[in-house]
Amino acid sequence: MLIEFDQVVVATPHSQALKGVSLTLSQRRIGVVGPNGAGKSTLVKLLNGLVLPTAGRVLVDGLDTRRDPKAVRRRVGFVFQNPENQIVYPIVREDLVFGLKPLGLEAAECARRVGARLDELGVAHLADRASHTLSGGECQLVALASVLVMEPALVVFDEPTTQLDLRNRNRVARAIAALDRPALVVSHDLELLHDFDRVLVVADGCIAADDAPGPALRWYREHCA
Amino acid sequence: MKTRDTVLIALFAALIVVLSLMPPIPLPAIPVPVTLQTLGTMLAGAMLGPLRGGLACLLYLLLAAIGLPVLPGGRGGLGVFFGPTGGFLAGMALGACVTGWLARRAALGARNAGLAVAGYVAACVVGGIVVVYAVGIPWLAVVTQMEWSKAALAVAAFVPGDLVKAVVAAWVAWRVERVWPVLRESP
Amino acid sequence: MMIEPLYINRASPLHRLPAALKLALLVAAGAGLVAVHDARWLGLAAALAALLVWSTGVGAAALWRQLRGLLWVLAAIGVFTVAFQGWQAAPAVLLRIAALVGLALAVTLSTRSSDLIAVCERALRPLQRLGLLDAGKVALALALALRFVPEIWRHYQEIREAQAARGLARHPLALIVPLVVRTLKRAEQVAQAIDARS
Repeated sequence: MLIEFDQVVVATPHSQALKGVSLTLSQRRIGVVGPNGAGKSTLVKLLNGLVLPTAGRVLVDGLDTRRDPKAVRRRVGFVFQNPENQIVYPIVREDLVFGLKPLGLEAAECARRVGARLDELGVAHLADRASHTLSGGECQLVALASVLVMEPALVVFDEPTTQLDLRNRNRVARAIAALDRPALVVSHDLELLHDFDRVLVVADGCIAADDAPGPALRWYREHCA
Repeated sequence: MKTRDTVLIALFAALIVVLSLMPPIPLPAIPVPVTLQTLGTMLAGAMLGPLRGGLACLLYLLLAAIGLPVLPGGRGGLGVFFGPTGGFLAGMALGACVTGWLARRAALGARNAGLAVAGYVAACVVGGIVVVYAVGIPWLAVVTQMEWSKAALAVAAFVPGDLVKAVVAAWVAWRVERVWPVLRESP
Repeated sequence: MMIEPLYINRASPLHRLPAALKLALLVAAGAGLVAVHDARWLGLAAALAALLVWSTGVGAAALWRQLRGLLWVLAAIGVFTVAFQGWQAAPAVLLRIAALVGLALAVTLSTRSSDLIAVCERALRPLQRLGLLDAGKVALALALALRFVPEIWRHYQEIREAQAARGLARHPLALIVPLVVRTLKRAEQVAQAIDARS
């Protein structure tokens, strides 16, 4: 999994969310931190084409996000900050099957994948539950399962634990640690990132620091606290 | 019709369900407590525009028709559609469409706040009351074999409550549109 | 707060009829009953409707909830009919309504929502072929509406409690603006989440 940012600028009529970022990302666990409004969410939403660069380009395994958005989205799964707004079907199982529709698989294969993913995350018992009865942590795990059924090459998490209580936060943290594929995590929860391979600090639309977790988070605490 | 439009239609239908199931509100000088169902359908039109607003109402009616208790009082199913008030339900979807069409013209194009609110009120009254009753009254007349004028008299008592709802819907639509514009870019 | 369908899970003769047939018969009965004016025939139809409703196995409480509103309407219509058309006209009018509503209710109680949706799907297929409709989007919209009713209801209760905590009397109008704004914000997030998975 190779991601390249080539002088990426993201500008809105009012401001510049990102000012000329160039990066190459290939590590297995990458963290992104930064003050609110610094451009973290914009940065990660560039990875699956939810945001397109105003200038420059983003390449995911050689695919340009502007030219091949569908192919990019198949490679990059995205787990959002708000747990409940990612599950769109009334019953958990139906939601996971919905995610598989674009792949055009047979019913038996769909059922197998859905069962396997829910099992893996320890939430198989939720398969036939009503979505609105899930706790925040259960929602995030189900959302993660719904992303994993599509077998993405990379999973991006946009502040996955911000809205969770401690127990649910720990469940999600364990799931991220046990993930068998590369993950990129935006987080205010600095503990989550302490054993990652690389941490980027985004401040004011630029990459202010880019290092191992120790030095990067130290810089962050010194300059942005 | 983008994903966002589909989601807006669905969530507004859900909003109409929630408004329908809220406890009815007693209003001074009006004999029967008013439900917020028609407020919801007027709002759908005023906020989403003619196409999405009409579809949101249709989705709400579909939910009722397939046997879900989403009508005020937990009613639902085909019984209400085949009863004397069925026409008022059908009229709501068309009404939402008309409200949306008028709101886009009158309210969005207005030069100041006063005219904008007036535009929304006009849209809600024409779509939410005139159109709805124009469908509901003939239906009622057919089912009860009354003359149209007598049928109209029978439902006249509900008009004051509906007028209050129209003003409230207009005000809500105007306030929300300023904070979170949705009508502006309706398809 | 899950919306429970009105369908009664039982194995009555009415349950076993296919949904499309029941709908067709209902529409035919509706058209027919409007043309009948003899109170005796209408009485028979109303009795048949009552029998069919009873055969679905519906409980008294559930039945009362569905008919409660109608009884007020019937009373008002009865009064108006007597006032404008005389005593003789009232029974026919009231029995016709009872028969229509009863038959429709019997269909609702004995037919699964999913079966009715399937009938809708088939009926709308021509529109799909003309490119005016996308069955996938309609199915998604239906699912989304069902999914988020409990969440929006929950938020309505949260706003109500928050207002009570601030000492504001139950002012329903003040609830509506925050409820609508939150729903719009939610719509944006949900749309993004769906796009990310498509």
